[in-house]
Amino acid sequence: MADTRADLLQGTLDLLILKTLALGPLHGWGISKRIRQLSSEVLQIGQGSLYPALYRLEDRDWITAEWGISPEGRRAKFYRLTAVGRRQLSTETESWRLFSLAVNHVLQAT
Amino acid sequence: MRWLARVRRRVKLLLRRADVEREMDDEMRFHLEMEAEELEHAGHDPAEATRRALREFGGLERYKDDARDSRGGRWMDDAAQDIRYALRVLRQSRSFSTVAVLTLALGVGANTAIFSVVRGVLLEPLPYTEPERLVDVSSVMQGRHTSVSPPDFLDWRSQSRSFSRLAAYFLSTTNLIGVGEPERLTQARVSSNFFEVLGVSTQLGRTFRSGEDEGSAPRVAILSDGLWRRRFGADPRIVGKTISLDGFATEIVGIAPASIRFPDGVDLWLTTRFEPRDVAASARGARWIGVVGRLAPDAVLAGARNEMAAIAGRLALQDPSHNEGVGVAVVPLRENIVGDVRAPLLILLGAVGFVMLIACVNVASLSLGRTAAREAEIAVRTALGANRSRIARQLLTESLVLSAAGGVVGLVLAFVLTRTLIGLSPGDLPRLDTVRVDVSVAAFALALAIASGALFGVVPALHFSASALHDRLRAGGRSGSGGTRPASARARRLLVVAEVALAIVLLAGAGLLLRSVAGLRAVDPGFRPGGVSTFTVSLSPVRYPHADEQRVFAAALLDRITRLPGVDGAAVTFSLPLSNSGFGFTFEIRGRPVVSGPSEPRAQVRVATPDYFRVMGIPLLRGRAFTAEDRAESPQVVVISEEAARRYWPNEDPIGQVITTGWGREEKGKRFGGEIVGIVGDVRQFNLANGPTPHIYGPFAQRPLDELTVVMRASSPASTVLAAARNVVRELDDELPIYDARTLDDMVADSVAQRRFYALLLAGFAALALMLAAVGIYGVIAYSVQRRRREIGVRIALGATRERVVAMVMRQGIVLVVTGTAIGLAGAAVLTRLLRGLLFSVTATDPLTFIAAPVLLVGVAVVACVLPARRAGGVDPAVAIRSMD
Repeated sequence: MADTRADLLQGTLDLLILKTLALGPLHGWGISKRIRQLSSEVLQIGQGSLYPALYRLEDRDWITAEWGISPEGRRAKFYRLTAVGRRQLSTETESWRLFSLAVNHVLQAT
Repeated sequence: MRWLARVRRRVKLLLRRADVEREMDDEMRFHLEMEAEELEHAGHDPAEATRRALREFGGLERYKDDARDSRGGRWMDDAAQDIRYALRVLRQSRSFSTVAVLTLALGVGANTAIFSVVRGVLLEPLPYTEPERLVDVSSVMQGRHTSVSPPDFLDWRSQSRSFSRLAAYFLSTTNLIGVGEPERLTQARVSSNFFEVLGVSTQLGRTFRSGEDEGSAPRVAILSDGLWRRRFGADPRIVGKTISLDGFATEIVGIAPASIRFPDGVDLWLTTRFEPRDVAASARGARWIGVVGRLAPDAVLAGARNEMAAIAGRLALQDPSHNEGVGVAVVPLRENIVGDVRAPLLILLGAVGFVMLIACVNVASLSLGRTAAREAEIAVRTALGANRSRIARQLLTESLVLSAAGGVVGLVLAFVLTRTLIGLSPGDLPRLDTVRVDVSVAAFALALAIASGALFGVVPALHFSASALHDRLRAGGRSGSGGTRPASARARRLLVVAEVALAIVLLAGAGLLLRSVAGLRAVDPGFRPGGVSTFTVSLSPVRYPHADEQRVFAAALLDRITRLPGVDGAAVTFSLPLSNSGFGFTFEIRGRPVVSGPSEPRAQVRVATPDYFRVMGIPLLRGRAFTAEDRAESPQVVVISEEAARRYWPNEDPIGQVITTGWGREEKGKRFGGEIVGIVGDVRQFNLANGPTPHIYGPFAQRPLDELTVVMRASSPASTVLAAARNVVRELDDELPIYDARTLDDMVADSVAQRRFYALLLAGFAALALMLAAVGIYGVIAYSVQRRRREIGVRIALGATRERVVAMVMRQGIVLVVTGTAIGLAGAAVLTRLLRGLLFSVTATDPLTFIAAPVLLVGVAVVACVLPARRAGGVDPAVAIRSMD
């Protein structure tokens, strides 16, 4: 599948990150790997998009960051969802559902 | 709470930049390593893995930049960068920065100091409950506000509905005895509801109870906070104790809060305790108290005024001999207290605002000059990609940094200046205690600094344009000769013209005020103050209850004082001329019909011992003065002043006529007056500006007093004489403090103190403006000379003499100055009208001042132009032509 890095809308990326973190705190690399795994290698988030998105989300207080030790024993910065972020996640998910539903309707029209 | 975390993050970004960068690096590196590891596990060889990972990662720096952008607070980064750059640039041109900061600091400092005075005196509300509903009520006679008589006050109180409360007050002095050194205190005698009118309560104890102001009530007092701290060590147990005032036991019932200082200068409050004779119907003409009131909740000022006018009318009909033509004025209390000084203070604020403008103009002009010199640097930056707004922002930041520095230094200066102002100000400037540099004043200074920074920063920032810079770069600076003048030079010249105009206005105003003060000082007060000193004592009614005791004491006092070494003569009187006090009465002339109302004869009434006129240097014009023969049992005699003779005996000889004054009317058969035996010269009683007032003098022996003002003419220095006099008094009565000890020269000087204060301040601003304008002119001319060096070199090479070059440069400067002067004089002619209230002996467009000011300015400008002009004359043509500007 083509590298969808450039095509991903910013808001969609935010949604993916929030959802990934809803499953548990992760460091930046872990987030990109999890998204890859969950999308069966379809969605590959480049570092150039990932980190700006992470910092943006942190600035809005939807996620918080903390330095910790990775399972491999290395020092890494872990991100976690905040309560506000959790609320935002459900809002964004709902918006996405409506959006994709609408797009489907248009595509199915004959 | 979220925003708190955000603010913390931003602050961390700003201050711990390196840490944040390092974190980002660590995070990226971790990602890179994990990426590489995964690739390794997938089978790639390590080096290859790293290379691929790096490729995946792609230009680290680029992503870091994007990451940085999304962190937010980008503008803070830019601003920090701008500020750092500005500091570096300003540090490099140290002389410019120093001059600019100092100039701004002077402007901000002076303005802030004056503003702190204006804020305290004019703006800050009075420290009472709902102060805007407090009013001062006074009588009006012949268009002038005067004090009120107790019978009128009582009638107003019972008849008016517009006031929820009315209270009377008057100031007098009292001797505090028995607590260490005896001291004379200023006491305010007030109605028992006085504190309720103001809406304040005591910090300790109680206020007066109703009925405590009756003549028969026990004596009670409320101390001021200042007195309590100063004499009683802020001891709370003083409440309930008794002190001796004038020999009377007085119980202290309360301590007033520190913020209450009404009436001005009061040490303690007692109650009015009017005697029956004070409130009798016959005393309606004796006007000596003040009245303060609070408007009723449903009343307005206009309504109160109408009602009081009606009441005044009724009283005039009821008692025309005293109240015919007497009106009532109701004035808001704040107006009453500060009304007189509002105009001069606002004028000073305007004047110092001019100084600030001149300072800004100067710094703008300097900045323009510098910007022109930095054209190359700016052109390079433009070429490297900075757009016009970015560069303008940079220049503006430099201006703001300068003005912030100027503001800080200015604030420190303001602190010092405010202290100095308070110290120098005339004693009668009201509400001086509220003047201080506090948060609002500091905010003003800061706002002023930033505003000036924006003002003069905008000029260079707006001034250049990108395309013009291109041309300049290409042309390599070959322009700048006589033909094409860059716009910046023209702008600078305009600025100089503006500066000169503003400076002229200030110089004219200062000149007018200075001449007014000089004119006042030149007025003959009617006596010779040189070598005369004075002090006053107030005899206790307990120790000296009757005229005999007072007479004896005065005689003993004078006898001892005249025997002091160096003393040529001494006399006793009261209420000296120009001492800001008066004591006037109407009088009747025997053989003439009694006239009532406004045309009734009035004069200032005094008693004095025989040597008074000689000691004071008041000339005896006709007849005789008092002698020792005019004793208590001798026929009553008086001496009148020339003005009294002129006014009331225009066509006849007053000597031999008999007059009777209203003083003592309440004591049957003891009215002050007598046969006129002499005429003496006039004295100015209230101030030097008004004409002389009629005076009637009687011998002290025939009517002694308990308040004795002693005047002594001596050849020894005043301090020695006064110290010796103090000892004499203490020998005669060790419980008698002396006060108001000073020389007559000081007293005369004090009478013009307020005007002199304003004049000196305005002169200070004018001098400042002159100095700044001179610096501005010098800067512009020097810059012009430097820019035109090649042209000058060419001229000299072509045969122009050095003198002609110098003349050319000077002419350029003079043209600017003359233009500015013309505009300034026009402006001054309009603006000096504002000073009219303060002027004396000069008109608002006094020709002498309006000529002297430009002459002074032109003189200073010539000096400012001479240096660069001579440098122009000294240009070596060979060097100048060859140099590439």
